[in-house]
This record gives sequence, structure tokens and C-alpha cells, in this order.
Amino acid sequence: MKLLTHNMLTSHVKGVTKGYPLLIKATEVKVNEVEFNPQFVSRMIPKLEWSALVQAAEEDLPGELVADYETNEEFLKKVHRILLEVEVLEGCLQCPESGREFPISRGIPNMLLNEDEA
Amino acid sequence: VWLLFGDIITVTIGATVPTGFEHTAAEEIKEKIGVDARISKDRGRVFFPITTDKLFQVHLLRSVDNLFVVVEEYHHYQFKESKEETLMELQQLASTLPWTNALEVWKQNGTLKKKKGHRRGGNTAKSKPNCEGVGGSMASTEQQELPQENSAPEGWAGDTQAMETSTQDSDETGHGSKLIKFRVTCNRAGDKHSFSSNEAARDFGGAVQEFFQWKADMTKFDIEVLLNIHNEEVVIGIALTEESLHRRNISHFGPTTLRSTLCYGMLRLCKPQASDIILDPMCGTGAIPLEGAIEFNHSFYVAGDNNDMAVNRTVNNICHIQKRRADKGSMSGLPIDTVQWDLCSLPIRTSSVDIIITDMPFGKRMGSRKKNWDLYPSCLREMARVCRPGSGKAVLLTQDKKCFSKAISRMGGLWRKQHTVWVNVGGLHAGVYLLKRTGAVFGQTPEDVYESRGAVHMQGEEKDDKELS
Repeated sequence: MKLLTHNMLTSHVKGVTKGYPLLIKATEVKVNEVEFNPQFVSRMIPKLEWSALVQAAEEDLPGELVADYETNEEFLKKVHRILLEVEVLEGCLQCPESGREFPISRGIPNMLLNEDEA
Repeated sequence: VWLLFGDIITVTIGATVPTGFEHTAAEEIKEKIGVDARISKDRGRVFFPITTDKLFQVHLLRSVDNLFVVVEEYHHYQFKESKEETLMELQQLASTLPWTNALEVWKQNGTLKKKKGHRRGGNTAKSKPNCEGVGGSMASTEQQELPQENSAPEGWAGDTQAMETSTQDSDETGHGSKLIKFRVTCNRAGDKHSFSSNEAARDFGGAVQEFFQWKADMTKFDIEVLLNIHNEEVVIGIALTEESLHRRNISHFGPTTLRSTLCYGMLRLCKPQASDIILDPMCGTGAIPLEGAIEFNHSFYVAGDNNDMAVNRTVNNICHIQKRRADKGSMSGLPIDTVQWDLCSLPIRTSSVDIIITDMPFGKRMGSRKKNWDLYPSCLREMARVCRPGSGKAVLLTQDKKCFSKAISRMGGLWRKQHTVWVNVGGLHAGVYLLKRTGAVFGQTPEDVYESRGAVHMQGEEKDDKELS
């Protein structure tokens, strides 16, 4: 699971209103090289929930976006790595409200709910 | 007449494409090769000119299943009255055709493939060749006049091993030093012919053998000669692809894996832009998002399915491609991820997806017609929720056109039909629907307010044309 995907995932357990962002508990992480495309990154940033990304990345990403980030290649490369190159292979995602854990195995988060949760 | 090896000549290339996506293929040809392609009346075929120095470009095309070089084309072939006379004429034709250029291209193409490091292993789902053993050495396929999928790929599969060995021998030193093996594949469609494709293949093939002194071999052939007859249109060609390109990405098949050329056609339809987030909520083995991640790699793909086997196969297919890329020395990572989810309750933030693209269950090979009545409306609603209002799009393939049209007609507030492409998938007629997400915020259109399927009144919204299927 890449952090870009995590940025879109939300808990949809019945009754939960604050199911986003999911907490990441990783036991195995991998870094995979992906071709860098600055336009991709700069256009993606406005689509993201930035604070959720900062929280997930655990790295020194600024809490607020700097002005002119579109032309700051060093910054874009850092965001690129965090969004696309870091992958959680094993672990789980935890709903912040209900505590329900969604397992991640082989990089695939299993978001299926049981009958009573749906 | 021998040409000096390396002379640049112009030839016509024929390509078979998924029926319905001829225009898409023509677009891609214009874009990558820079020439105008002509769409044949025989559906699923396009033709375009190319100079031999640019030949390698044809192998960059993602919308074509098979390629061949045209030897000769007749648009209004006048068949003789009787079968005997017609077949006799076909035999005589063999020695008069302009073979030279086409054979030159075939030879150069063989060298190209060697350089490319021709890959194998993509075609594990090869079906039995559709041949009738007339005289033991010719292959033929009979086709009904009804629009049907071009079943030719089955008869075209050759032995890769033999191809590479023989190309090595009959290298740049020209022909004649080694015995060339060939076969003829005939496709015939039309109800006014006095002969069968078997007979045409047999007689034409016999004459070709006589003329060139090649050896006929149905399975281990170097050259595959194509004889395509569609009503009055007759095309003779030489195949340039021996393994259909349509399964190129997939190594782990599922029961209904979509061929990559069809995936490519669907992706082109939705015109992925840089940083578009593209979801396939019923991804099966991941064929569509994987093709996207390779060919339209400025977007990001999330492949999802509720089925264990499906998500695992998807990941296997992705890993297979990544490994292949790593072996070639390129960066292996692809902009794609896989999630296991229930598509009627997607664990995705509202309005966060730009494009939804998927192959919806047909109800014949997977799922059921009855299930679709409930599934389709819930699907479409959930897809509308996650899709960005105003700019979002969906490209949905389904054979259950009736159910789909009905479901869509109730969603005028969320989805508008923009365009439909009629295609053929495994012999079934299907539609690829391009939809635009309206600007309406989810949760506020009349369809959302009414829970039950009985809801009819849609105030102020223009109804889409009801489609009768």
C-alpha cells in the first residue's frame, strides 16, 4: 500500500463519523523506485489531504505547504518518494474512532467489513 | 527480382483490433506513426502505410491484436460463378501477386523481433487452433456474416522456438539457403461465396507452395500467409506477429481476463491526464489498471476487488511486470496499488477520484442477471459518490446493456451518458459507456433522497434517451 492510496482510504464502519485518516501500523515496509514526474507531484498535492500525509509520512514534511512548491524540485522529489515509493507490505490500518483494524498483507489492505459492521 | 537489403520501401500494414475500437486504433496510429489509417468495411481491421525504416514503430502500438503486411488488396473482387472456376482463379493468383516487398518486410520484421529480445510467456491461455485438417497442411476459419469477434488469433499461434531458429538461418544473406516453412490461414465471411475457407486455403496454399517451393507446415511455420475474404473484399497478407499481442501484460489469468488491447481502447476513451486518480473497483486480475499504469503512467491507479483470488492475481500480475522491467534495467515501480474492498461500500473519501474504469460483471460468465438488477444501481451510486463532481468520468464495459441503461436512466442527476462504443468480448456483444459525472454534489440529488428503486419523479432534470436494447 502506497501512501498516496492511504490518503484516500477511510474507515466506513457503521456509525463511524470520523473514520479518516486511518492510523498506519506497519510491520514491513519496502521502498521501490518509481520514475519521477514533477508535474504529477505538483498537480497531485492540491488533491491530497496534506495533514493526513504529514502524519502518515512520519518524516519532516512541513505542516503547511510552502509557497511556490510547484517549482521546488527538491521538495517535489521528497513528496514523490513519500507518495509513490514507500510501500507498506505488512501491518494494518486502524480506524481512529472505532479502533477496528484492517489488515495489510502482501501490500493489499483488506477493507472488507463483517456483516455487523456494514 | 531481388531488392538490396536495406532499401526503403513503402508498404501497407494491416492490423486487427478489437471490434468497436477501430477509431481508437486509427488515433493511436496517427499519434505514434504519423499516418492516416483506413478503417476496413470488415470490422476489426485497419490499414495504414509505412516505410520500412519506421517498421519498428508498429510494435509500439497498444491497440492492435495482430499485424500483417499486405501483399495485395482487392476491394471489388469479382468471383467466378462456379466453385471450380473460382478456386482455379485463386490458384492462378498465387503466382501473379507482388510478393517481393511484403516478403522483404517480413524478413526485416524478423530481425526486429530478434533485437527486441522477443518475450514469451504471456500467452498461457492459448486456445486450441481453430483448424480443420484438409490435406493436413492448411488452416482455415469460417465466419458467419453476423458481426462476430474475429476468431483468427487462435489459428495464428505459431511456435516461437521454430520462428527464432529459422530467422537465424535465413539471416541477411537472403533466401534460398534454407527451406522455408509456411502455412495459409483463410478467413472468409459473406453469404455469396461458392466455396468454403477450407477450400480456398487448400487451393491457394497449394499454388503458393508450387510457386515458392516452400514446405507446408501447420504448426512450425516461418511464414504465415493470410487470405482474408470479406464479401467482395479480398486481402492477401503475411503475418508479422505470431503470438497475439492482446494478452501481453497478464501472466496470471482469471476466468474473465480482458485482453490488453481492449483495456487500452477503454483507457484512451477516458483520456487520462497527469495526476488523475483512476479507480477500477471490480478489477478482477487487474488488466485495465495495469495497462493504464504502463501506458498512461502519468496517472495513478487503484485496483480493487472483493475477491481474495482476484486481488492476489492482480498483485501477481503487477509483480510480474515489475520484475520484467527490473530485468531490463528500468525503474520497476509502477503507479498502481491494490485494495480488497466491497464496491457498494467503497472505503474511499467522497469526491476524491477522477476516473472510474471497469469491466462490470456480465451475468453470463460471472455473477447473474438477477444479481445485476440490484448491483448496478448500488454500484453506480457509490461510484458517483467517490467521483469528482463536474470533472469526473467513468468508462464502464458491460454486456448487460438493458440493466445498465435502466440503472443509468435513474441517475440523470449524477451521471450523463456521453458516448457508447459497441464491442465484442469473447463472442458477446457489449457496450463501453463513457459517462460524465454531473456537477451535483452527492447526497442532494433526488435519486439520493429516494431509497427505494420505485422512485420515478426527477424534477427539473432532463432525462437521457432511454435506450432499447
